[in-house]
Amino acid sequence: MAETGEWTGTIGRVILGATKDEGGTRSVRYCIGGSRDLPFLPGEDPCGRRPLIALEICDDPAFWPAVVKEHIGPLAGDPAAWAREAERSFGADLVRLHLTSTHRRQAPGLEVLGQTVEAVLAATTLPLIIEGSDDPALDSEVFRRCGEAGAGERLLLGTAEADRYRSIAAAALAYGHAVIAQSPIDINLAKQLNILLREIGVPADRIVIDPYTGALGYGFEYSYSVMERIRYAALKGDTDLAMPVLSAAPDSLTVKEVRDAAPSERQERALSWEFQAAFPSAIAGADIVCVRHPLSVKRLRDACRALVPGGNGTAARGGR
Amino acid sequence: MALKALDIYKLLPKKNCKECGFPTCLTFAMKLASGKADPDACPYLDEATKELLKGATRPPIRRVKIGVGERSFAVGEEIVLFRHDKSFVHPPGILFQVSDRQTDEEIRAVASRVKDEVFPRVGELLRVNGIAIRNDSGSPDTFGKAIRVVEETAEFPEVLIATSPASLEAALAECGNYRPLLHAATAENHEAMCALAKRFGAPLVVRARGIDALRDLAGKCEAAGVRDLVLDPDPETSGEFLEAATAIRRMALARTAPELGYPVFLDATVPGREEATLSLGILKYASVMVTTPREPASLLPALTLRQNIYTDPQKPIQMTPGIYRVGNPGRGDPLLLTVNFSLTYFTVLGYLESSRIPCFLLLVDTEGFSVLTAVASGKLNENLIRDSLQRFGVEAETGHRTLVLPGYAAPLSGRVEEATGWKVLVGPRDAAEVPEFLEQAWRKDATGGSPGPASGP
Repeated sequence: MAETGEWTGTIGRVILGATKDEGGTRSVRYCIGGSRDLPFLPGEDPCGRRPLIALEICDDPAFWPAVVKEHIGPLAGDPAAWAREAERSFGADLVRLHLTSTHRRQAPGLEVLGQTVEAVLAATTLPLIIEGSDDPALDSEVFRRCGEAGAGERLLLGTAEADRYRSIAAAALAYGHAVIAQSPIDINLAKQLNILLREIGVPADRIVIDPYTGALGYGFEYSYSVMERIRYAALKGDTDLAMPVLSAAPDSLTVKEVRDAAPSERQERALSWEFQAAFPSAIAGADIVCVRHPLSVKRLRDACRALVPGGNGTAARGGR
Repeated sequence: MALKALDIYKLLPKKNCKECGFPTCLTFAMKLASGKADPDACPYLDEATKELLKGATRPPIRRVKIGVGERSFAVGEEIVLFRHDKSFVHPPGILFQVSDRQTDEEIRAVASRVKDEVFPRVGELLRVNGIAIRNDSGSPDTFGKAIRVVEETAEFPEVLIATSPASLEAALAECGNYRPLLHAATAENHEAMCALAKRFGAPLVVRARGIDALRDLAGKCEAAGVRDLVLDPDPETSGEFLEAATAIRRMALARTAPELGYPVFLDATVPGREEATLSLGILKYASVMVTTPREPASLLPALTLRQNIYTDPQKPIQMTPGIYRVGNPGRGDPLLLTVNFSLTYFTVLGYLESSRIPCFLLLVDTEGFSVLTAVASGKLNENLIRDSLQRFGVEAETGHRTLVLPGYAAPLSGRVEEATGWKVLVGPRDAAEVPEFLEQAWRKDATGGSPGPASGP
């Protein structure tokens, strides 16, 4: 689609997950990135791989969306079983585990966090994204524990920010993981953080950009445009922005429009609210799109599949 | 291709007669070049020159108005490929489809929804724009009758979808004065369709699969004298639509194909994929979309996406800074600070209202930036907070000096305490956690300690 010679850049590749041959225990590994044109235009990506769909789960569902808890019942209290179902029943490509228990005033011991990560790794064969603490004071130990528990698995660790990226970078480098680099809906700050990470030794092929995604109706348009701008800048040759992008709009299922919906239509409203941020994020160029409602996975997959002529729409599964 | 002002000037009479309303021919040429004047305003130009100038000075994508009256809407006039380059201009019209095979009651029910259903959201009213009537019966009489049922309900924009000119003629006999959009001129029927469009002054959709065929057919309709065209690339898949719509937008903006300088039509009634098709059309260049009458549960999210994407990126929606009251707060009730980005305000407000804890919300002026971006850019700082507390006379309202900062502003807390002398509590990052925070932390930290609201001055 691009006029001849218009684009000079290519999105860099990042590998997630390690199979047995590579020293891990995952059944698949994904290679994300690699695009050479605007999202979903012919010739952009010959394999039609994008996006990967990650189902988000957590180890403490106190603040997790009510519509998800109603749907999954007892799974909400059991991250390992939840992760297993994400793979077997819900059809996710990735599991993103949020260690929400660290948000509590009385956070559980680090032993427990390490055990949770190990249990989730044992329960699913999918590559994992692990989200550490919200608290800089805990960061160092939490990331070390998680990194260690998943050593050799090529996890994606989250989340590095401009004022707290050292401990996560250290864990990623020590144990062979990639990192999510989050900046507040601003292309220049995204670029700056990538440079900071590179300066302390994190190579570009271990960085996934999270430009921060606001919920539909609550600033989503800013995130949409930042994702479009990142892709555009990367294709124009800016290598500091030529990393794959992750998008997650965590508030989609708890916005007022969902909370206030009549009980009979609340689930459909929730699913549609999540879809109308997730699918546009894919169109804007996100390589990994995170959702929280299990039923969103197939809905998003079907929509993306229809955009890829001839492609089977599923993620390329290098290990299978 | 576009002409520069000086090229246009060479074609003008150079009399400086002022009859066009501009002081000199050169001024007129500059106005023409920027699309702000009409060549018809000059009485001395011959027809051939006028035509040449109209082609060269028209906007890259023609404005097309659909319907008449209060509910009519205009599309076209878009100037960018990405909304971040400036802004998208006219939100796409979304129209509910009915079939002339449906009963009068069924048609009336859909028409009533189009007439009455409104979703208020952050100060705007979201609604679908009109109704599309499809001539599935193939019969002109049945089609005309269906139009009559719609017309009885209300006056709003219509799309008339038929392959046979005879059917469209029967429909136009019912609503020909209301600028319905005619769908569609094809390679087979375009002569008759163009004749109808001209007779009724109605906008016309041109449908052909593939860019070249579409361009060719649009050129024929232009030559037949139809000015208000809409393009339907007749895609088989969403992927084909994305590719075609992107190519049309690009070529139109570059003025490399004037026949493609029109708004784009998208039939989103794809079984099982309607939600995604609507989404794609909103994001990628559709200007008129037809959908089945979707349930409100999934219609509102689509309308919200349209509202988001067509918001001018250079103008964040702002609230007036000041003290806002949630519930009926009295002295001693919590005081929370946030920014004047309207979406932040509405999000926080939603959670505060549902918590049923009366409180004060202080909105400081970050020029519409969110907490995250205002902290990052330094717009939200201790001086702004100190000045806002003074400016809005906060202490006189609250009767205490304890302030809750948003979680993302935690790095400021020490400096804020120093600059203001107020006690600062750091709230959660996520607005959803604010009610629990107030329930627990406020009561424990604020009322138990000192200076807190209960024991404070």
